[in-house]
Parts: sequence; C-alpha cells; structure tokens
Amino acid sequence: MRLLLGYSILSLLLILFSCKKEEVGPQCKNCIENPIIPNSDSKILIVNEGNFGFGNASISLYNPTSNVLNNNVFQQVNTYPLGDVAQSGVLFENKLYIVVNNSGKIEVVNKDTYNSIATITGLISPRHMLPINSSKAYVSNIFSNQIQILNLSNNSISGGITTSSNWTEEMLLFNDTAYVCDMKNNNLLLINTTNDLLIDSVKMGVQPNSIVIDKNNKFWILCDGGFNTDFPKLIKFNPQTRTIEQTLIFTDINSSPSDLSIDGNKENLYFINYHVYKINCTDNVLPTSNWLSNNSQVFYSIGIDPYANNIYISDAKDFVQSSSILRYSENGVLLHSFQAGINAGQFLFLP
Amino acid sequence: MYKLITYIIFILLTSKLLAQEKIDTINFKAFTVVDYAISENYTTTKIDSAAVASSENLSDLLQHQSTVFVKTYGAGSLASVSFRGTGASHTRVLWNDVEINSPMNGQIDFSLFPSFFFNSAELHHGASGLIDGNGALGGSVLINNFTPSYTSTAKPFSLSYHSAVGSFGKKTNGIKMAFNQKKDWFLETHIYHSIAENNFIYKNISQKNHPEEKLENGNYFQYGFQQAIFKKIKNNTLGLRFWYFNSDRNLASSMVVEDHQENQKDESFRTLLEWKGFTKKWSYKLSSSFIKDNLVYENKSIDLISNNESIFFSNALNTKYFINNSSLLINTFKVRYEYANADGVDGVNSRFNSSWLSGYTKNFKAIEVNIFNRMTIVSNYQNFIAPSISVGYTLPKIKTLLLKTSWGINYNYPTFNDLYWNPGGNPDLLPEKATMSEFGIKYILKQNKKITLSSEINYFYSLVDNWIMWQPTSSSIWSPTNLKKVENKGIETSLSLSKKMNQLQFSFKGKYAYTKSTNIELHQQINESLNKQLIYVPKHQFNYTMEIGLKNTQFTYNYRYTSLRYISTDNNWYLPANFISDIALSQKIKISGNTKLHLSFRVNNLFNQTYQSIAWRPMPLRNYLFNLIFQL
Repeated sequence: MRLLLGYSILSLLLILFSCKKEEVGPQCKNCIENPIIPNSDSKILIVNEGNFGFGNASISLYNPTSNVLNNNVFQQVNTYPLGDVAQSGVLFENKLYIVVNNSGKIEVVNKDTYNSIATITGLISPRHMLPINSSKAYVSNIFSNQIQILNLSNNSISGGITTSSNWTEEMLLFNDTAYVCDMKNNNLLLINTTNDLLIDSVKMGVQPNSIVIDKNNKFWILCDGGFNTDFPKLIKFNPQTRTIEQTLIFTDINSSPSDLSIDGNKENLYFINYHVYKINCTDNVLPTSNWLSNNSQVFYSIGIDPYANNIYISDAKDFVQSSSILRYSENGVLLHSFQAGINAGQFLFLP
Repeated sequence: MYKLITYIIFILLTSKLLAQEKIDTINFKAFTVVDYAISENYTTTKIDSAAVASSENLSDLLQHQSTVFVKTYGAGSLASVSFRGTGASHTRVLWNDVEINSPMNGQIDFSLFPSFFFNSAELHHGASGLIDGNGALGGSVLINNFTPSYTSTAKPFSLSYHSAVGSFGKKTNGIKMAFNQKKDWFLETHIYHSIAENNFIYKNISQKNHPEEKLENGNYFQYGFQQAIFKKIKNNTLGLRFWYFNSDRNLASSMVVEDHQENQKDESFRTLLEWKGFTKKWSYKLSSSFIKDNLVYENKSIDLISNNESIFFSNALNTKYFINNSSLLINTFKVRYEYANADGVDGVNSRFNSSWLSGYTKNFKAIEVNIFNRMTIVSNYQNFIAPSISVGYTLPKIKTLLLKTSWGINYNYPTFNDLYWNPGGNPDLLPEKATMSEFGIKYILKQNKKITLSSEINYFYSLVDNWIMWQPTSSSIWSPTNLKKVENKGIETSLSLSKKMNQLQFSFKGKYAYTKSTNIELHQQINESLNKQLIYVPKHQFNYTMEIGLKNTQFTYNYRYTSLRYISTDNNWYLPANFISDIALSQKIKISGNTKLHLSFRVNNLFNQTYQSIAWRPMPLRNYLFNLIFQL
C-alpha cells in the first residue's frame, strides 16, 4: 500500500511537472546573444539556407567594423521563422527579398528593421529573384517549367514565362535582356524583359550554375559539369554578339566548381572548387593553384564585399550545424571568423 | 528425454499465452531458444498480448511500452525506431522470425503495422540483436503471431469483431476468426480496414500571427488481411501465413512549407511457410518466406512519381541439438535473395545475403553462458567473425537476483540505396560496425500470489564505427560515406509491480532510459559536432503505465516524457522536451457463455500539450478513441 501511495505521489509530481513553461518548436541557443538594433550600421547580411525539411533557414547580420553578430534576425523581429531553405536574397530599392525555396515564398523585408513587409506565396520551388524594374521581377525555379513574373507593386505573381527547362538558376539583367542559367538543358536563356518573351538560347557547358558580368561587359558562366557527366567549364560570353568567346575546361571530371563571384571593380573572379580560386577577367587559362586552400574545411559559399573588397567564405562543415564565416582581405589575410546560421549560402552587402 | 521435450513444448506453447514468467527449468530455457526466446542474460523488453491489443500500431505500441526512441511525423505518417542512440536503419524488425527491413533503405515504417495483425512483441537490445540477424546495431524488434496451441482447452472456433471510432475521422474495423481443431488443423483469418482524415486543428506558429490551421492532406486509408493455416503431423507442424497490407496516404507538409500534395502508396505481400518439429535430441525449423513491397511516391506539385519495388526471398534452417540437460547447440543457416527495382536506383539490383549463426549455451548451476557467432556473405562483403557472448549469474542465496553481462559485434551492410542510388550512391562503402557491451542486475520478487515485482537496471556501452551518413557533395548531390564513429552509452532501467488487494488489481510498469550518444571521431573532417549528442537522440526517456482493475473494469494511465532532442549537430538547435499523458477506461461485459463485449474509451494527450516530435510537424491536441470488441 505504501508503494501504491508512493507511485501516486510520483505520478502526481510528474503531471505537475508537465505543466511547466511553454516552449514549442525548434529553439536556438546562440540566436539571442546580441539584441538587434534597427537602423544599425550592420552592413552584411548572410542568408542561411538551413536544412531541407527542418525549417531552420535564418538571416544573420554582421557588422564588419565592430564585429558584432546577430543570428536568427528574421525570427526574432517577426516572431515566426523564415521558413524552409532560404535559397537566396537580393536587395532592391531598399527592400530585401529573401527567396525561401521549400516554403515556396519570398519574404519582402524592410532593410533597416528586418520586419516582414509582405510575403509573396504560391511559388513552387523558387531559386533566385531578378528585379527588372520597380514593378517587375523574375523568379527562377526548380521542378517548374515557368520563370515566374512578380508584380513588385502589390507583391504578387503576375504571370510566367514558359521554358523547356524545369531547373533554372542564377539570372542577370543586362540592358533589356534577362540572362538565365538553364541547369536542365545546359543553356543560357535570353528573355526580352519588355514583353517577357524568350528570345534565344545559347548552349553552355553541363549545368551552368552561376553567372557574373565583368568590367568589359563580358559574362562569365560557370558550368559544374553535373555529377561526373562532363568536365566543368568556365565560359566567357559576349552578350552583344551572343557568342562564346572563351571556354576554359577543368581537368577533373569529378570536381564541381560553384559560386562564381566578382569583386567590386568587376575585375577578379572567385569561385569554389573544394578550395577558393581566383581568376582575372583578362586571363585565358584556369588558375593552376588555389587562392585559398580549404584546409579540410567544407567551403560552401563565397561573397565579395564590393565596398571593402573583403572576401567572405562560408564553411558548412557537416551541413547540419552552424556555418563558420571566414572573412579575408583581398590579399588572403584572415581578418575575422564567426558562426552564422546553418548552411550560409549567400552574402548581401548593404551600402 | 523424449518425454521431457514434449513437456517442454507444452510449457513453451502455453507460456506464450500466459504472462511472461521466469521459469527456472534449465531445459525449458534451452528449448525456448527454438522459438528465439533469448536468454535473460541479454536485455529484452517483452510486450504481452494485452498491451499489443490496446495499441493501434507498432509505432504507438513502442512509444507506450518501451524506451526506444520513436521518431514520428504524426498519426499515420512515417515512424522510425532507434535503440540506444543508433539510427533507424540499425533496428532490425522481424515478423515471426523473418526479417522485413527494406533492402532499399534498411528501415521499415512502423506506422504500417497495425497491432491487429500480431499478438506479441519483443525487443532485443544491444548484443542480443546478433541472434536475430545482421544490422541490429542498436537492437531488434520482433512481432509474433501466436503459435497454435492444439491443447484441449483451446476453443474450437472463435470470432471477434473489432471496431474503433476516434477523433479526426478515424474509423477502424476488423474481424478475426480462428478455427482450431484440437488434434491437427488450425486456421486463422484477420481482416482489417482503417481510415482517418487526420484533419486536426493546430496553431501554426511558423506563420505570421500564428493562425489556427487545419492539417491538410494527412488522411490515410489502410486495409489488409492475414491468413494462417497450420497442420500438426505428429511432432511436426507445417504452417503457412500470408499477409497482405495496403496503405494509401497523403503526406501532410510541414508547417513551414506550403502543401506539396504528396502521396504515398505502400503495398506488401508477405508469405511465410514453416515446418518445425523435434526428435529425441533435435529440434528444427525450416522456413521459407517471400516478401514483396511496392512503394509509390507522388509529388503532384512538381509532377514527380517514383516507383520502388523490392522483393526478398528468404530461406532458413534452424536447428537445436540438446547435448544434455544443460547444454545446447544452435545453428541457423539463412540464405536471402534481395532484389530492388526503383526509379532512383540504377537499373535492377539484386544480391544474395547469406549467413550462418552458430551458438552454444551451457548451464553450470548458477551460471549460464551463451556464445554465438554469425558468419556472413553479402555480395562482395564477407565477414566470418561477429560474436555475441553473454554470462548470467544467479545469486545462490537470493535466487531471484541475476547478475548479467553481454558483449558482441554486429555489422550492418550498406543498403541498395547507399550503394546504387543515382546520383550519389557509393559502391565503395564499408559495412557499419558496432561493438556492444552491457552489464546489469535483474531482480524478481514473487510473494504468494499477491505481489509481483521485477526490476532491472542495465548499463550499456557501444561503439559504432564507419557510420554511413548522406551528405551533399560539392555539386550539391547527396552521397553516403563512412563518416563517423559514435559512442553510445547509458542506462536502461525498468520496474514493474503488480499487487492484488481483494478485488482490486493494481499494476505499474515504469521504464527509464538515459542515452548519451556522441560523435567521437569524424573520419574526414573536424567540426563542432565532435563530442556532441547526436541529433534526434533524447538523453532522457521515461514512461510508465499504471493500471487499476476492479472485476471487469480497468483504468489505465500512461505517461511518457521525452527530453529535448538536438536538431543540429553542434547542439545549437533543439526541440524542447515533451510530456504526454493518455488515459483509458475499459469495461468487459459478459453477455452469455463465450459471448463477450469489451468496450474502451481512450483519451490521448490528456493535458492538451502542444509539441513537436519532428521539427515543424504538428501533433494533435487532446483526442479520443472509442473501441469495441465483440467476441463470440
């Protein structure tokens, strides 16, 4: 009988214990270390993809002057999480557009307060957004043959451009034409932004994943070669003549270069191929040695501060933990390193 | 000796129907091995038929009755089980001794096994899993159907109708029929149908202003039947069991994702043919099983349909040779043909998976020793040494106190997905290897017939090396590698007590597990996950069931606590702990003779806890289930 009584008391205690504080859903330990100061001079915004299905995409803010860091900024300000897989972000007319891939949405965010102004929903699997003008933007997609057209005045989907590709990636606007990387059919798609019509497509290497424009108005397109499908290629493209001027072929079919970026002077290109490589826009051979060795880190993304010309590299480690961000000077000197969110995939440098 | 064995069989068969009791006959122990009753020197969790009958499915059952970690996406959705900090593919599942893990991913979905189709369950923790098969790096889950008893007390014919109605449009109906001709024939039929809308309301805290939303696309539809035909021929039994199961469900998206309109259809055909018997010194079982699983996944939002078909055909010969009253020799030969044809996998894949388990058990008065070894050949993988050893010592003065220890090694061979998935599969993978050890104390107290107490505490330590993990490669293609070495250690304890006071029957079953599961070595890189707790492994798990019965009325209370689970490997992100309580009230009504009615009413999540078992997957708040069984 005493035992019975004992267990009854124990059970009661446990029931009471269960009525404790309410904490539901994923919680983050290092996310609230520093309070967010609106309108602060934090100039660098890091878009962290998070893990597919985990809903832990986030935004980190970094102040390169004071080295102060804020993690999980969006959730702190808006009291709901950013979503599942924040693929990319773009700053346009004082608003941040964060493309949240698996949540099928774009969060329109005030660049000073980080408040969500609007949420553009109904996108299938958006990858990147390219603003065309104050009222129009394009969204590339995976698993959809549409490049969606957004109306930026009322933050809604206003239409779509049908392509033969169900995987489009990075895009670039030059004069009146949008240039779209087509990962599926290995093309560069050209779209007339006035009438939203597909006007041409130019064959690239296998899987063109990133595109930048240099100071001579030449495009550089990095093709990763797929999964052992072809040798990766770095292509120099002349948009005026719509021809390829130079193709640099990587020697290792197993390698998969990505994240082509260009510095503020539009002169030096950087990309990741296990290590970080640097190439000048006048070069006609691929660099033989790396600019920065990974030292068994897992380089995931690269960003170049066009104002300070610092190079930011993320180390995604095992992809299920906070990325380390390494900040280098253009001479390759490590200036600072810190922990951002999970799978830091893009850097936005705010003026 | 012959007489002895017959007697033993009698005990064995009936004891399966009775409560699990420790019987001290050496020979009984020896013979129980025939039916894979594993030595008490190992840690096991035995779940009796009453507990099975009061649960909905295997996932629900294990959540209530054990301290293994059940990771579930919600009612009717994918549920996986892990033991002692290992992964879901490190849990072997056997149905009447036939391994049913998918050759594609090495797992099963525990939500697709309604309790209606089996009668008892048993968990083998740690090194004992080797006796069941390869790959049980954490342990194994056995679900069994009753062996026909052919005793004079068996009812010649029984029929029961089962019906349940619950919240969120749940309706389950089933019929069980059994025909038991005392001398030789036994036939049994189970027919099952279940449907649920699963459209519960939850607060979507992942959206602006936290709106209340109704879960969309969580509905499911399941049906199946099982047929058994057994025939006794002198000392032999020939049996055939066929189980068909079909499930069609929509997959609800997580809170943070817009509905993807995903659907999954599973279909399983399981056939088992067995012949078992005994002679003077031998007992044997020859079994042959054919299992075919089809899985069709569809994602309408991206126009994706993926077809997956797997087949395995398994043949096993299990023999026991009784050397004398205290020692026994065991041999099991298994040849399994595995086949998979899936959209994600290059071409058609098949392989032979053969193994030979040899074992010896010996009893020296108070000490019992078991030694096993499994030799395995799986396509190009060969391994001749995978031992499992256990020693138990019953204290001479306190006969009810058992000191026990076990040690063993088990390998998990890469699955078809690991090896051949396109793109990303890695044909160079090594098998995962676990070295497991444990020691513990078990105490049983039985005073007259009024009080029964049993308690057990075990400490375990295991190392899992060459743990296979899928990670994105540089081209963002996911690929598996033998990435890490994990150390799992912890404590498992259990206490059960039952007491009879006049008309009142009281019972308490409590279990607690502490699991520290950490990355101790990363084969390719160094990062913050080193020496951190693995994701989705709770450190503390506690549950208990309390039952109070008065005549034909019974009140049940179940409580379970799951501590926080980390969801990032640097242990920066976590899901908070949860505490869930269920209660049930049941009443048996005798109508006339053998005609009985059994009514029960269950309240799940009594205290209306909002919680997530997996990040951003909503779980239902308080909900109800009404159950009726009409027995003829």
